Amino acid sequence: MISTRLSAAIAAVTAAGLLAACSGGTNAAGGNSSTTLTIASQDQGSIEPVVKAFEKANPGIDVRLTVSSADQYQQQIRTKLASGTGPDVMSVWPGNGNPAATYVLAKPGYLLDLSDRPWASKLPDAVKTVSQYQGKTYNGVFGLNGIGAVYNQDALDKAGLTPPGTWTELLDFCKDANAKGTPAFALGIQDNWVTQIVLYALAATTVYGPDPDFDKKMQAGQATFADSPWTTAMAKYQQMDKAGCFQKDPLGTSYEAGQELAATGKTLGIIQGNWVIALLKGKNPNGKFTLRALPATDTPSEFLMPAAGGTGYGVNAKARNKELALKFVDFVMSPEGMNLFVTTQGGLPTRPDTGFTPDASLTELSTFVNDDRTVPFMDQLWPNPKVQQSMLSGLQEIFSDQSTPDKVLQAMDADYTSGS
Amino acid sequence: MPATSRDQLSPPAAVVPRRPGRLSGRRRATSPWWFAVPAMLLFAFVVLVPSARGVYYAFTDWDGLDPNSSFVGFDNFTGLLDDPDAVQAVWHTLLIAVSVTVIQNVFGLLLALGVNSLIKTRNVLRVLLFAPAVITPIVTAYLWRNLLGPSGAVNSLLGTVGLDSLRQDWLGDPQLALWSVVGVIVWQFGGYSMVIFLAGLQSVPKEVHEAADIDGAGPIRRFWSITRPLLAPAFTINLMLSIIGGIKLFDQVYALTGGGPGHATDTLSTLIYKDAFTLGEFGYSIALAVVLTIIVAVASTGQYLVLARGERAAS
Repeated sequence: MISTRLSAAIAAVTAAGLLAACSGGTNAAGGNSSTTLTIASQDQGSIEPVVKAFEKANPGIDVRLTVSSADQYQQQIRTKLASGTGPDVMSVWPGNGNPAATYVLAKPGYLLDLSDRPWASKLPDAVKTVSQYQGKTYNGVFGLNGIGAVYNQDALDKAGLTPPGTWTELLDFCKDANAKGTPAFALGIQDNWVTQIVLYALAATTVYGPDPDFDKKMQAGQATFADSPWTTAMAKYQQMDKAGCFQKDPLGTSYEAGQELAATGKTLGIIQGNWVIALLKGKNPNGKFTLRALPATDTPSEFLMPAAGGTGYGVNAKARNKELALKFVDFVMSPEGMNLFVTTQGGLPTRPDTGFTPDASLTELSTFVNDDRTVPFMDQLWPNPKVQQSMLSGLQEIFSDQSTPDKVLQAMDADYTSGS
Repeated sequence: MPATSRDQLSPPAAVVPRRPGRLSGRRRATSPWWFAVPAMLLFAFVVLVPSARGVYYAFTDWDGLDPNSSFVGFDNFTGLLDDPDAVQAVWHTLLIAVSVTVIQNVFGLLLALGVNSLIKTRNVLRVLLFAPAVITPIVTAYLWRNLLGPSGAVNSLLGTVGLDSLRQDWLGDPQLALWSVVGVIVWQFGGYSMVIFLAGLQSVPKEVHEAADIDGAGPIRRFWSITRPLLAPAFTINLMLSIIGGIKLFDQVYALTGGGPGHATDTLSTLIYKDAFTLGEFGYSIALAVVLTIIVAVASTGQYLVLARGERAAS
């Protein structure tokens, strides 16, 4: 009998995993204490000190924090919201294009309108566009992240090279680096999201430099990926690959392994977001790393850097403790909370009025932000997650000669017009 | 008092009056059908009802989030035929299932024959060979992801022994990645098949072998005419387990390659996961899951029928 029950249970669990997990759920009841706040977050390692500071500032409250990785978080939050068991406060990605993005969650009414909060009007325009849906603010985006070339100073010194200032210099830099036996940049595109980073760094300048309104034209159906300077960005990505800018076998190299290469000086740097600096320092505490714009043309004054609001916090429209939830988001968006958050994350605050002094490694990014020479991460304004996924697998296919840039851009166009 | 508490939990009428009957042998085989009702109800509520509700969503455009979804008929299923990624994933799934089944069982059988012999270290070897099977697949996958990296242990080893020309980007080369995944699965579960074959081998009576030996049968003849037919139940179990495992393969592929490069190693399961949780196309993804369920059901039933006939013929 026991074994029958056991096998029935195993069978149940197995079969349920296949199909049943996808079917709808019921509303679960929970604690309704006025001092309990539930938070679901994907900011592993950086939200904890913020929650502690919040608890200190509000004695007597009980914060129940669940932290998970981005992938896990994105699938769980949808299930939780759809079944009415969502947290009071949750991580929400800016803009559109991913399963837990502002537009995606605001559209079916899962997020509370935060437009009347004191911080909402103080956000810069570039952040407003991605924290709002139909003119209303739903997402407290506290941090800015940028993408560029992160150089390992010790490795540069050892190779006797300096960071390139133009596109031509970049290609020479790659050749010289190889001549010294140390490839210029680590590229770990076994994890497919990494494939987009170099492309974004190039597209910022090549696509949005000549045409700052490219996204508006795409939305209006007046432009396509395949017939735009995206082709230039793609071509330059391939040119970099041919010039030996990346280490051997990037498709077999993971994001983690890529960090290892750059941190330990087996490459001179890595093209990534500023968030990688903290990870590189974790692997090489004595290393000195700086983020610079990746040259994409021969005119440095044209350079733009992809810089965008990072994941922010939204309030569940059906929050059990709305008051405390708003208080928490207000705290995150206050100069104190914001600076605390971005200091642990290694980014920049979204509000210009927080009196924040950026880390020396981010000086260039900070200058670009202040000079308004940044563009949002491209996917944040795409209408659905399919465009980005086609790009990610398409880039892997380009690197393994299974596809071509034209085909990939056409597939992205097809997904773009397939609706939201 | 201690005695009653247990009786109260038992179904009332069944036990006491029929007690003698239960011991008499023949009646023992026929328990009242309603004994099964609680288990059936549990099964229905935990498996059948949710599964049926799940299947319903295969005919909708549900995005996993919006409570309102509309009925789209067979659109998701016809869309599947036009989706090159899905067709490719079905092909990969079948390729993995068949190659894992064949290689893992040949490998397992050879190992079983090896450790069933009288070599001194056989007990140690049995433990060592079975050890990978007790590790969580996701852990082995991450382990192998590092070992198979461009500068991982496998390539280093090849370099050390002078076989530089054989160094490969095992998981990054679309021609190789699928076979690397197959290799990892066989490495992990070859020992598992071995144990089942070993159990089968040990149930073959020694006397039969001795008699055949006296009759002048060589080892190959003895394997073919004695061991092989008596191993038929072990074959049934092993083939069934490996083909089902191969078809629904998810964790190893996801951790090793994430389905990449591109879609070069995507299986039905990884595609189901991506379509649902990354793209939010739950309706389509459930349609894929229904197709997977049908493939598993057809393959395992078909295989069972063939092998069961084989078992009967052998016995």
